[in-house]
Amino acid sequence: MRICGGDDDIATVQFSDEKVQDILIRITGMDLQKIFRPVKEELKPPTYKLMTDQQLGEARQKAIEEAKLKLKMPPVLPERKPINDILSQDKFLAGMETAKYVFTDITFQTPHRERFVVVREPDGTLRKASWEERERMIQVYFPKPGRKLTPSPIFQEGNLKVVYQQDRHEDLLDLCIAQFEPDSSEYHKVHRLAYEDIDKRAKYELLRSSRHFGSLVWHLVMVRRVDGLLVDMLQRELINEAVSLVTLFHMVHPRSESAKEAGRLEAKGVELLKVYASTESQRGGYIELALQAHQQMLQENAL
Amino acid sequence: MAAPSLSMLSRAFSRISPVLLQCIRQTELATQRTLVSTWFQPPCVYIHSNRLLFTTVSKYEKSADVDTEEISSRYKDRPWDYLESEEYADRYGSKPVWFNYRRNHKGGIPPQQTRKTCIRGDKICGNPCPICRDPNVIIHYQNVKLLQQFVHPHSGEVYEHTRTGVCMKQQKLLKKAIDSARDHGLLPFQVPFVDHSGEDYSNSHDAVGCTPSRPSVTADEPWYPWYLAQADESEVAKVKKIYKAYLK
Repeated sequence: MRICGGDDDIATVQFSDEKVQDILIRITGMDLQKIFRPVKEELKPPTYKLMTDQQLGEARQKAIEEAKLKLKMPPVLPERKPINDILSQDKFLAGMETAKYVFTDITFQTPHRERFVVVREPDGTLRKASWEERERMIQVYFPKPGRKLTPSPIFQEGNLKVVYQQDRHEDLLDLCIAQFEPDSSEYHKVHRLAYEDIDKRAKYELLRSSRHFGSLVWHLVMVRRVDGLLVDMLQRELINEAVSLVTLFHMVHPRSESAKEAGRLEAKGVELLKVYASTESQRGGYIELALQAHQQMLQENAL
Repeated sequence: MAAPSLSMLSRAFSRISPVLLQCIRQTELATQRTLVSTWFQPPCVYIHSNRLLFTTVSKYEKSADVDTEEISSRYKDRPWDYLESEEYADRYGSKPVWFNYRRNHKGGIPPQQTRKTCIRGDKICGNPCPICRDPNVIIHYQNVKLLQQFVHPHSGEVYEHTRTGVCMKQQKLLKKAIDSARDHGLLPFQVPFVDHSGEDYSNSHDAVGCTPSRPSVTADEPWYPWYLAQADESEVAKVKKIYKAYLK
């Protein structure tokens, strides 16, 4: 999802670039305690294993590999264009039927994006089915696990607020991924509302070490509202992550004041944060204070 | 049959307690009594003969009786208020609603199905299930505290009817309410992990992309030379005559 922002370059950096992905993976972190936290599932008696140190190390490596699979980010795509293609106009069929007919190609091996779904209207037009009709028909013939035919009422405005109050943003986003396609408008809307709520209440910790953190950071960088996240990182002493966040911001908006200033001064590390705090951010004072406090603490620790 | 047995019983029990005697005299005098008030009889009047006296209720008496709670509970519009009230705390304390309920059955192993329903029309059975015995306990998808009493706190599974003792009709309503509460986001549950990676989202295929229309086509000309856009009028009239009943 890209928004034209003034005089910034539009087609420079995308979500799927390797550099961007590296930064996002680093920012997301890997808290194994949170990723493999106990979950409500069928109760089984506990298993105990006796391991040597080497086996324990191997088990930890395996856990890290599994965590990487779990933290794989869902794609961030631009909104899809509606399908408005008419394949044929047959006037002599007008008035023969009273209902639309939907024809779906149910060959098993074709990918769903290459499947033909066409609709014959009662006035004789043969047109391609719209995205909603396509998804509905494909769900009827090839049901996906976790997806319902009609979206569940949790995605309506009132129920979303209840979910935000319960701090269940991660569950909501998982349900959204299961239900909607990544380029549909509902997917974008649900994600945008969830990210805005998190930003408003500064609850970034809810999504940290989950697969949604990357797209949260990307969204905030796109909309240029990085201050809250930066402040939160500084409060938690995550200076390296804060620096990577600012570098990402400069990559995405190379013509912003902060990026130009950083390029001019060739700032690295903590100086980048100072440059950003002085130029672009609205809460520059707070960021500088937090940086000073951190440096004081470092000096104290060194002593 | 009722009267002689009663008088015999009354003589037999007259020495046991005066309260019992008084109750028996009252039952002898009264010809009609509502079935509803049996629930709240003092426990000492639990005699088998009582059942023989209770005849079916007339509608007039029921409408005149203001205290009948089974028609309209005070909490019909807001069932979640009952779980905060004092009556609930007195009756159940901190235990779930089904905690002190015990099914009546022969033998050690209970039947695998509880009864189909406790309330049929106006009649309520003996030993009704935990939900039917208290008319203020209403199953509603927004009554989250009640629904949570029927869900295992650690595994998230809904308790079976054999565990809680509810009748089959209420179990079905419970399941529907729990699913509805989960759908509306009121009841937390574990979302299954779905991975949609490996799919191509480029939308370049003709099925979803833009098919360019033939540049030379107009509304009147057919797309292909072999495509009959001008149908034979007589043929069309014949087909329309056959299917006349089904055309608009």
